[in-house]
Amino acid sequence: MGLSSVASNSEGMQLCIFDLRRGQNEGQELDKILFFHPADLPFSTQLSVIGLSEGLITFTRIFSPDAACEVIEAERHSHVFFEAEPDIWMVVIVEKNKEAEAIWRVDALRKVLKEVHSLFLMFHGSIRSLLEKEPAAGSVRSQLYIFIMDYLSDFHSSKKLQLPSFRDSLKERGTVQMLTVGREAAIEVQSLVRVVESCTGSPSCHSLLLFQDLLVSTTLSPDDTINLFTYTVLRLTPHALSTGLSSWSYLRKGSTASAAVTGPPVGSGTSLSEPFHGSHGTSAGDDHSHAMRPLQHNRWSKGKDGFLITDIWQAEPGSLVSVTPSIWLQQTEEKMYLCAYQHKSLTLIFLIPVSSIINGEQGILAVKQLVLENASLKILKVEEKLSKGWGGENAYHVSGYRYLLVDGDRNLSRASPPGKVTTLTKDSLLALSKLREEVDIEKSRTRWDNGGHEKDLEICTRARNNAWVISQVTRGKELYMVLENANETLLYASDAVQKFSNRYCNGAFSLD
Amino acid sequence: MSSSDGDDSTFSGTDSGPVLGSKPIEDGFSQLRVGDLANGSANDGDAAAAAAEGSGDGEGIAAEAGEVEDGGAARARAGETEIEEIGEARVMWRSNSEGEVEAQASPSSSGYAGERGSSSGGSGIGEEEDEIEEVRSDAVSDSQAAWMPGKRHVDEDDASISWRKRKKHFFILSHSGKPIYSRYGDEHKLAGFSATLQAIISFVENGGDRVKLVRAGKHQVVFLVKGPIYLVCISCTEEPYESLRGQLELIYGQMILILTKSVNRCFEKNPKFDMTPLLGGTDVVFSSLIHSFSWNPATFLHAYTCLPLAYATRQAAGAVLQDVADSGVLFAILMCKHKVVSLVGAQKASLHPDDMLLLANFVMSSESFRTSENFSPICLPRYNPMAFLYAYVHYLDVETYLMLLTTSSDAFYHLKDCRTRIETVLLKSNVLSEVQRSMLDGGMRVEDLPIDPLPRSGSLLPRLGQSRPLTDSQESLKEAYAGIGGPAGLWHFIYRSIYLDQYVASEFSPPFNTLRQQKRLYRAYQKMYASMHDKGIGAHKTQFRRDEHYVLLCWVTQDFELYAAFDPLADKASAIKTCNRVCQWVKDVENEIFLLGASPFSW
Repeated sequence: MGLSSVASNSEGMQLCIFDLRRGQNEGQELDKILFFHPADLPFSTQLSVIGLSEGLITFTRIFSPDAACEVIEAERHSHVFFEAEPDIWMVVIVEKNKEAEAIWRVDALRKVLKEVHSLFLMFHGSIRSLLEKEPAAGSVRSQLYIFIMDYLSDFHSSKKLQLPSFRDSLKERGTVQMLTVGREAAIEVQSLVRVVESCTGSPSCHSLLLFQDLLVSTTLSPDDTINLFTYTVLRLTPHALSTGLSSWSYLRKGSTASAAVTGPPVGSGTSLSEPFHGSHGTSAGDDHSHAMRPLQHNRWSKGKDGFLITDIWQAEPGSLVSVTPSIWLQQTEEKMYLCAYQHKSLTLIFLIPVSSIINGEQGILAVKQLVLENASLKILKVEEKLSKGWGGENAYHVSGYRYLLVDGDRNLSRASPPGKVTTLTKDSLLALSKLREEVDIEKSRTRWDNGGHEKDLEICTRARNNAWVISQVTRGKELYMVLENANETLLYASDAVQKFSNRYCNGAFSLD
Repeated sequence: MSSSDGDDSTFSGTDSGPVLGSKPIEDGFSQLRVGDLANGSANDGDAAAAAAEGSGDGEGIAAEAGEVEDGGAARARAGETEIEEIGEARVMWRSNSEGEVEAQASPSSSGYAGERGSSSGGSGIGEEEDEIEEVRSDAVSDSQAAWMPGKRHVDEDDASISWRKRKKHFFILSHSGKPIYSRYGDEHKLAGFSATLQAIISFVENGGDRVKLVRAGKHQVVFLVKGPIYLVCISCTEEPYESLRGQLELIYGQMILILTKSVNRCFEKNPKFDMTPLLGGTDVVFSSLIHSFSWNPATFLHAYTCLPLAYATRQAAGAVLQDVADSGVLFAILMCKHKVVSLVGAQKASLHPDDMLLLANFVMSSESFRTSENFSPICLPRYNPMAFLYAYVHYLDVETYLMLLTTSSDAFYHLKDCRTRIETVLLKSNVLSEVQRSMLDGGMRVEDLPIDPLPRSGSLLPRLGQSRPLTDSQESLKEAYAGIGGPAGLWHFIYRSIYLDQYVASEFSPPFNTLRQQKRLYRAYQKMYASMHDKGIGAHKTQFRRDEHYVLLCWVTQDFELYAAFDPLADKASAIKTCNRVCQWVKDVENEIFLLGASPFSW
């Protein structure tokens, strides 16, 4: 029974969300399930997946009351757990397959879960609050289904769902990549931000400025910055807008993703909703059409005035009148209007508290007008300045090094450009993935052992293929590095790290 | 745990030592044991199996875990009956006591007290993670309280808070969910818990997969399935998964050493077979093995270590052992505590280091071996997991013991004669006194690491007349290092010769004054070993690792592996130089620290 069908699934991946507070009586177990992918798996299989997960959550709490099950490693699958909200769990099950390069790092998979949940929070608010509003959970399920399927469509490459694997070891999801800005440009940016925020007339207004896919400035809290940055890079930057167009034609040809995107086909739609809604007398179809789809591709475009427009947000369900998008801030739990302005490579996002705009769309229009009048010149200037200083997509390449630098305190990361990372051999990347896994475990232990105290750790390994695979963790900063063409002595390798640290990290990883 | 007298039906009256007949040994044994025990336990009416059966689906497992939390509807009082069978499980023959069959001595009467205060490096004493997590460990563990063998905290079960907070649990259970062994708590009270473990394993198995590890916060739950035997470790120590899994493999091996793998047949005949009586009285063997997981590098290096001895002395011991090996003895092993003095195998027979570890643990942890000569069936799991061998064991002094292994069940008197011959020669040639002296003197010390390369005739053992006079500069250096280890901040090292299957570890010098510090270093090595030997991507070549406690350097070549610990502030360049010197030093004194010329181990 059960999990064997996981393997037969062509994608080899299952993702589910369940609520431990629901469906506690016998016969009502299905009520726990809020999301399950693939949706066409038989309920018995879905229930057995959730049964095992729930069983192990309960079991591990016997010994570890504060931190229940995080991962189950079986011979052929990894089950990665994430408690998104109290008693609301997300579990992803991936198949391991060495030949198919299906070698995973648990923490990287967990960060996917965390990311999709954070994005969901930003657009819809917490799952728990939605469930409280609607105990039958029909529309919550629809929202989750559509949101997550839209999110997952980004992982489709050549018709296959490809989650982050060992090949992505030099990336860190859930961090922000920043543009290095000269002093003069920084002053210009500062002044631009001040002007924009003053235009909104609200003290709790925020802004985010990106150049290409890199962050230039933010006035948001760290968590909200990550979420909005992630969304902007996924859907709003010039790069995202253009790839969205090209993938549109691809989607229309009817891939798995488009099946999800173009509304539920009869099979999956009913299998998702029927058992839950039948008893509550809600129509499944309606829920789907009402669900807002902020992650749907090709729903954003650039208007004549430079502001990005979308029809995702509608005045009321089913209406054709679209309104200004709004999001929830995680930190203040405040609802904000989202306005995005784009000039060439520059994307300016400003958020205005919904409460501060009295006359709705009219009021927003007025603010936008004000920004255009007061800031467009500055925007031109900043764009020009940043473009001049911009070194292109390989700007952060350091020859001879393949690296990832993570600043955990500021949620920043910088890495070798993806095109350069692909030159690494599989062996090096596997060794690095393994090393990262080891460091992940050390870090998590330190977290449990002594709260704030951070781990200092330096590991420098010469792998079987003679590549040096290096990790340094110090004062909240992490450096991962692969040196494939290095000399064979340890001293040479640590010298290389030292040089890198001195030149690019202000000596953060230097010894003295 | 049980009386021996009630169990005379099979073996009594064999005053001429044990006779098992000429049938294949293992068959004779399994039938004999199975016959009695399987019947006894079939009507056990325990809730464990019942609970396990009902757990085929998702709800079952959750419900069961719930029950455990609630404190035990499923808890069963299994196996209160078969006490009379227990004696049979661990048969020991004492040659000097009219063929009496004897069970294991009770844990409390073990001779471990005699080991306290020994000067040997990495000796069998140490703190345990017996502590409860939250207890401020420096208060408890630096007290240097000697480790006490045997089972503790029997009053606990899974409802006890203290039980739940133990740092490292080990469980053996049967595939029907019956408890066989638990490190803490009474197995019988843990029937419900055991059933839960079984449910987890079989639930995943039913899905066509096999669960290996569950991670939750600081805790890891590691599973190992060996046919009808399930082994589980629940630990919040920092040990990596690979190490914990290796420990479960050893525990399984220890069980096989006692019972042979033919115990599987009991489960084929009766899936609900209760195995606890078969292992009755062996708690002390398992607890001593588990204890060694926190001090004995052999448990993760898969290599053994020798007592340092002058080459001629070891040769003399080897020669006399070789004599008896030629007379039909499969293996002749002379050991002092966990260190090998000499060992000889019959032609083509080779002994796996893990088998030696398990055998030595079995002998050293069982009190009855100390009191008189013994002839006992044992199984070497790596040699032949299906068959019993017979081990003649005799202590020549408090710490030194001779083990003669044979396939023949009626070789007792022959082996006794062999032992007499060996003992005479060893006494005459002063081997035993050299052994005792070596135990007192200890082995390699980082403070003694030579600055300049030694001439090839270098010796570790100055008293043996080959002494190298220390130069003035070395003397003064030695003083300079006093209390801070060796040159360049070297604190400790382990060198493992791959082709000899042997390792040598330096003695613990300051700053490793406390057992707590020693155990932490041991764990750091263990982690390093796991990190270097990844099964998926193959062994790495070099690793440098620095954390708040140490600098660790590891170097793996085709011939050897070196693990060295330095002061965390050590300079990389001089640490590397020092490692090279350690390797040279080991090569210079290899005649004394390794057993050379033993048949290569071909596993």
